[in-house]
Amino acid sequence: MGLGLLALAVGIGAAGRSRRALAPVVVALTVAGSLGTALAGALALLTGRGGTLSWASGLPVGPWLVGLDALSAWFVLVIGLVGAATALWGLASLASDASRAVSGTHGLLAALIGACVLVVTAQAAITFLMAWEAMTLASYLLVVYHDDEEEIRRAGRRYLVVTHAGVLALILMFGLWSAGGASLGFDALAGRSAALGPTRDAILVLALAGFGIKAGFVPLHFWLPPAHAGAPSHVSAMLSGVMIKTGIYGLLRVGMMVGALPTWWGWTLVVVGAASGILGVLWALAQHDIKRLLAYHSVENIGIILLGMGVGALGTTAGNPTLAILGYGGALLHVLNHALFKSLLFLAAGNVVHATGTRMMDQLGGVGRALPRTWFAFAVGAAAIVGLPPLNGFLSEWLIFRGMFAAGPLGGHLTLLLWGIPTLGLIGALALACFTKVCGVTFLGTPRTAAARDAHGESLGLAGPPLALAALCLLVGLSPMWVFPPVFAIATQVAQLPPSAALTASAAIHPTAAAVTVLGLTLIAGLLLVGWLRRRQLGRHPAPIAPTWGCGYATATPRMQYTASSFAAPLLDTAAALAPLEIARTDTMLATHPVDPVLDRALDPAWRGLVRLAQRLMPLDRARVHVHLLLVVGALLMLLLMLATGWGLG
Amino acid sequence: MTGSAIVGFVLLLAAAPLIPGVAVRAKSLATGRRGAPIFQLYYDLAKQWRRGTVYSGTASSVVRLAPVASLVTAVVAAALVPLDGDRALFAFGGDVIAFASVLALGRFVLVLGALDTGSSLPGMGASRDVTVSVFAEVALFTTLIGLSAATQGGDSLSVMLRGAVAGPNTATAVTLLALAMLAVLLAEAGRGPVDDPATHLELTMIHEVMILDHGGPDLTLLFYAAALRFSMLGAVIVGLFVPAWPAAGALAATAGLLLVLAAVVGVIEGTTARLRLVRIPQFLVVATVLAALATVLGAH
Repeated sequence: MGLGLLALAVGIGAAGRSRRALAPVVVALTVAGSLGTALAGALALLTGRGGTLSWASGLPVGPWLVGLDALSAWFVLVIGLVGAATALWGLASLASDASRAVSGTHGLLAALIGACVLVVTAQAAITFLMAWEAMTLASYLLVVYHDDEEEIRRAGRRYLVVTHAGVLALILMFGLWSAGGASLGFDALAGRSAALGPTRDAILVLALAGFGIKAGFVPLHFWLPPAHAGAPSHVSAMLSGVMIKTGIYGLLRVGMMVGALPTWWGWTLVVVGAASGILGVLWALAQHDIKRLLAYHSVENIGIILLGMGVGALGTTAGNPTLAILGYGGALLHVLNHALFKSLLFLAAGNVVHATGTRMMDQLGGVGRALPRTWFAFAVGAAAIVGLPPLNGFLSEWLIFRGMFAAGPLGGHLTLLLWGIPTLGLIGALALACFTKVCGVTFLGTPRTAAARDAHGESLGLAGPPLALAALCLLVGLSPMWVFPPVFAIATQVAQLPPSAALTASAAIHPTAAAVTVLGLTLIAGLLLVGWLRRRQLGRHPAPIAPTWGCGYATATPRMQYTASSFAAPLLDTAAALAPLEIARTDTMLATHPVDPVLDRALDPAWRGLVRLAQRLMPLDRARVHVHLLLVVGALLMLLLMLATGWGLG
Repeated sequence: MTGSAIVGFVLLLAAAPLIPGVAVRAKSLATGRRGAPIFQLYYDLAKQWRRGTVYSGTASSVVRLAPVASLVTAVVAAALVPLDGDRALFAFGGDVIAFASVLALGRFVLVLGALDTGSSLPGMGASRDVTVSVFAEVALFTTLIGLSAATQGGDSLSVMLRGAVAGPNTATAVTLLALAMLAVLLAEAGRGPVDDPATHLELTMIHEVMILDHGGPDLTLLFYAAALRFSMLGAVIVGLFVPAWPAAGALAATAGLLLVLAAVVGVIEGTTARLRLVRIPQFLVVATVLAALATVLGAH
């Protein structure tokens, strides 16, 4: 039913794309549809019942198949929750854009949400690929919303090309898997897995490439930051919060369908996850653009999710249910958590862009004063993404940490998982450095420019969705005893464990869940109590307001404040080899420009080299007639030779 | 929640300002001076608590929240540290991660408070603090996995410290871990040679310059929280060596060893020059390597 409403929203958006009056109708339908699908997902999780729908496709590849099992239901829930929030924010945000056909854009967002839902509920390869393609196209059209900017058009083109390379890998994967079989239903494919032999490894590698491009882990992330930063903020929220998770879904689904996973799979996920986590946050630290910074944090968080999945996969291969439950459980919970706080952060950053007209942090400062609700929501989201209690990010990272601790005494290669703990600790500490920078430089201090000083405009429509998401972050963070059971139930299915073993393992974790709640509530109660004591004590004295002490210097200006670049400089100096900066220096000016090593140092030079090579061959094309004749004759001779020897004709 | 755990927790809260006092006294003696009384911090706290304060016109509520959060996180983290050789006041599976994360929450708010006044001096301190903490965090977590490996895989601070003394053939590993943890303490508690709490020049400070804009009751909370962080990290190091005696004996051993540790920290501070800022990461990387060595020893 939810999908039906989404479809209606798409239809109306398409038909009335230039009629602005229709925008609220389209968005209302989108929100209702999103919440409806989220509800369906939640119900399926609670009752443990799913269902399958099928239509005859008329194609020789079997019927369209859509179904809802526990894993699908979890992702549907995530998509629905974030989808509704982003659609609402989009209505308020685009209302001020008089130059465009916003109803069509709202319809596209509905299409994107619907396509994401279809992706995670598809039960047959063709259905899946069609939904995947629809998702890609809808998101591309949304990314290039500001198509008057060359940079954004370029980011969009790159996104489209790279994503389609990923689709090719997926088509190849399903092709290998079916091996000419009649049905491409997921059940049929899973049934064929046992007989795959070495093809299984090829399938897994293709899945890693195809889904990895969508998920955006290192080194396949290079398309992600420009595309996510250039899109309107609610689209960024949808892309970073939800759409890249369909890559994670794909990896989990393929893992379930393949059955017995090899050990290298788990270790690959762990290593790629650790690399993504560390490099993602380091590169984020170097950014000056608040939305690019958030996009790089998606690379980091995908890394954390992969770490959890790796721990889970290794647990399954080693037959250790505790490891599997903690790893997969942490990864699945982090999917929800990252969706909540990342979409929150993007929407709040969108409010800052709305109010000031710039995404550059070094032009901002003191914005929290003009946008108090946005600032509050952003601060909660920042604490959550850093993994601080009592918020939701802490819960999922806590599970993954515990999984790695549990691997220590198991012996053999599993003991090596212990080293994931300092890695995750490093990621957390770097994230703290990065988000104190964003919060401090953007929202606190003195405005650095007129744009920041004149910041205004925080309507309920713009502030409401981030605040609602912040409330969800706190709610999830305080209720592990309600969140863990469904997550562990899904993890049991993903890990392909017998329910009894999984029950024993999760029963051992549940008592500590209550302790985490106590910890969170103690922190909150302590803050209130000490805050009250302090206020009472201060009440006995006047607390005068004075200018900030300038260390004896009388004419301090806002430009003397620490900036995003100077705040991160000591850390980036120590990590210069991994996160290089381009530094432009004149007598009176110093500017740093963050470099993405994969894109700027590897891919772009390789591409330029290819273009140069092609240019070197160009003179041949413009040569005189007899050179052309020579080429034609040569080609003919070669063809004749091939015919004569039978080579290359199979 | 045992009686001895409650007694230990209350004692730790009460004695926290004494520990930096002992360190400062030891430092003075090591440098040939008499130094302030060891209870000086108590007098300072009481004096500051009765005073008023001035706020910057730039600052928002964050600067007012920072001291409160700093204190609360320190107290909650202290509740997770076992003091009677057995069990902490608040112990559960996975509490080591909570320990590190709660302290990180305190740092998060404190750093934001430093950036709130828009002054470049606290901003500088904030930038340095997060830089140092990145390396300290890695050293801390490596120490934790070393402990976990030496004690057959616990992830509760109480289980880890109990196991550290009971385990056979772990003397070398435990010594290495204690050294690594000492480096973490020096960094996290802002003591020399990482930080200089007694310098008169803001440009050379880390923690002290971050809280430059605080005064009165706010400063009381911040000073007390810093003392408590020092004491409880010290209690973790000391916990590595406290034998499995009956609760009262173990408590006394913890208290005695903690005072010795404070004196050691003071002597280190008095006899070593403060490290240049660019050398601090190297100092902590060495600590990480020591802890990693202990982990390898413990795991095999």
